[in-house]
Amino acid sequence: MDIINNLMFGFSHALTMHNLMYVAIGCFVGTIVGLLPGLGPLATISLLLPLTFSIPTGGALIMLAGIYYGAQYGDSVSAITMKIPHASSIVACIDGYQMTLNGQTGLALFTAGVSSFIGGTVAIFVLAALAPALGEVALLFGPADYTALMLFGFVCVSFVTTGSLLDGLAMCMVGVLLGQIGTDVNSGVARYTMGIPQLLDGIGLVSIALGCFGIAEISKNLDNREERTPFSGKIKLMPTWPQFKRIIPSALRGSVVGSFLGILPGGGPVIAQFAAYAIDRKFSKHRDQIGKGAIEGVAGQAAADEAAARTSFIPLMSIGIPENAVMALMMGAFIIKGIQPGPNMIASHPDLFWGLVASMWIGNCFLLLLNVPLVRYLLSIFKIPYNVLFPAILFFCCVGTYSVNNSLQDVFTTAAFGLMGYIMLRLSLDPAPLMLGFILGPMLEENFRRSLLLSRGSFTIFVTRPIAGTLMALIAIFVVWNFIVFVRQVRRNRATNGNGTVPAEAD
Amino acid sequence: MNNRNLLKGIFLAVFALIFALGALKYNTGTVQRPGPGFFPFMVSSLLFVLGVAMAARAHFTKRVPMEFTVKNIAIVLGSLAGFALLSEYVNMIAGITFLVFASTFAGTRYSWRRNLAISAVLVGIAFVFQKGLGLQLPLY
Repeated sequence: MDIINNLMFGFSHALTMHNLMYVAIGCFVGTIVGLLPGLGPLATISLLLPLTFSIPTGGALIMLAGIYYGAQYGDSVSAITMKIPHASSIVACIDGYQMTLNGQTGLALFTAGVSSFIGGTVAIFVLAALAPALGEVALLFGPADYTALMLFGFVCVSFVTTGSLLDGLAMCMVGVLLGQIGTDVNSGVARYTMGIPQLLDGIGLVSIALGCFGIAEISKNLDNREERTPFSGKIKLMPTWPQFKRIIPSALRGSVVGSFLGILPGGGPVIAQFAAYAIDRKFSKHRDQIGKGAIEGVAGQAAADEAAARTSFIPLMSIGIPENAVMALMMGAFIIKGIQPGPNMIASHPDLFWGLVASMWIGNCFLLLLNVPLVRYLLSIFKIPYNVLFPAILFFCCVGTYSVNNSLQDVFTTAAFGLMGYIMLRLSLDPAPLMLGFILGPMLEENFRRSLLLSRGSFTIFVTRPIAGTLMALIAIFVVWNFIVFVRQVRRNRATNGNGTVPAEAD
Repeated sequence: MNNRNLLKGIFLAVFALIFALGALKYNTGTVQRPGPGFFPFMVSSLLFVLGVAMAARAHFTKRVPMEFTVKNIAIVLGSLAGFALLSEYVNMIAGITFLVFASTFAGTRYSWRRNLAISAVLVGIAFVFQKGLGLQLPLY
């Protein structure tokens, strides 16, 4: 009954006029920006972050969360209608776009909306039940355990988001090193500041995010010169009853899978979608149709997507360690608002925590009631040519960067990271792990140094403590397994073409 | 030389080298009492090894040429820099107008009239941000 009481307490905070307005604005604006080509949730959140600066903390967090779900829904809409995937909606392109080709766009969008609602609802109960419990477990964590957990997160994220362990780990390290710029907390030494006073506080999170995900993406899109044909088909939203009945089992399966995978380090929406889709292909009643535009193919993955997006807040809010790049950005936003996510957050700011949880469900209702019916009008954003859109996006990047510190210097920092992000995109290095490394870098260093102080310089502390040891063992297994896969691939290729070359992406 | 995998390794190794050399300027301390240079030196050495390994591995993998168009990224960065400078020394309305007129050179078609319209709308949005959301934009 505790959960119900807590949720009621949360609703009493979330259901104020102002907070309702913030949820609505967040979901709505998030969807619109998320629809824009080349702007995934990471770019959307960092673009819209400045909007929350003048809002009280509780409302700001609620609005940010709203932006996140809104952006995800916008993503899946652009995937279903035009097969433009961002990081978070690759699976929606398969059956969703197929349904559009079959003339069932409205049905696909409705399915995605309803399934998201189901997934979100299930995940909120998981979140409400697990987050406080996990928060108590987190109190058992010492510095060595935190270090191991962060390393474990790096390995998982690197593998999941980039598919290549080495590339991902390298990007994590680049992020960690960038996080070193600024004043060292332990000794007060200014590191890598090159005598520039602005750098004493470190590089701004927004500058890195907008540079790597905004500016770099825009330049890449400009290089491609793709003229996208806007979607102009008819949209008939309401399904028939038999169609509606097909949504439910698939969405429930997806919710469970998504809720579970969302909690794991490195987990989150992307992997949850793939897992839910795979399960539907095995167990669904209509599995023969999946891949050819089946309702189940959209419902399962949409529910998993939404559920994982919610439950990925659990590690952030109960342990204080973000498990993927979006959560890292969220954590940065929390810190800008003066809230340190972690085991103490639930105890010291119960109104914020439970208000946020409750607002997630309200956000779901808004998505269902506002965005799903309005989607046909939202799609008209694609009728705006890219030649008009990209100067506007650049403008938002500038204003966003500027308003963090009211400093025009920061615009130059953003531009510099735009260049770096562009180079990395061209080198096929994914900047998402960089974001995680950047946010976790200072925490990793602090915990690492503290563990060494505690153990008087012995590295065995990372192996002998039960939690840290288990995590390290998992990392080792993962790395060795990856290495074996790589070696086998090289051997197989040698056997087939005799020249020892492997496909470039294999790892 | 235009091999994406090789360049990737070199990029990472050079990046790591810059940070490693920087870290040596700070006190690394001992393992018992790590100083401010200890952690960055450790991470950048690891990254350096990784970068070199990737560059070496590029010999055994298929060559993928790296695409790189200087023009668009240069136009985008130039218009951002112009925006910042103009906003600093003139005002942000001038900055926004410059941003629009400069950045659209990277687009497919160029039209003065359309750029004027975009600038006007963006300046309007900036006013809404300033008055409505309380962002302190130095518009005029």
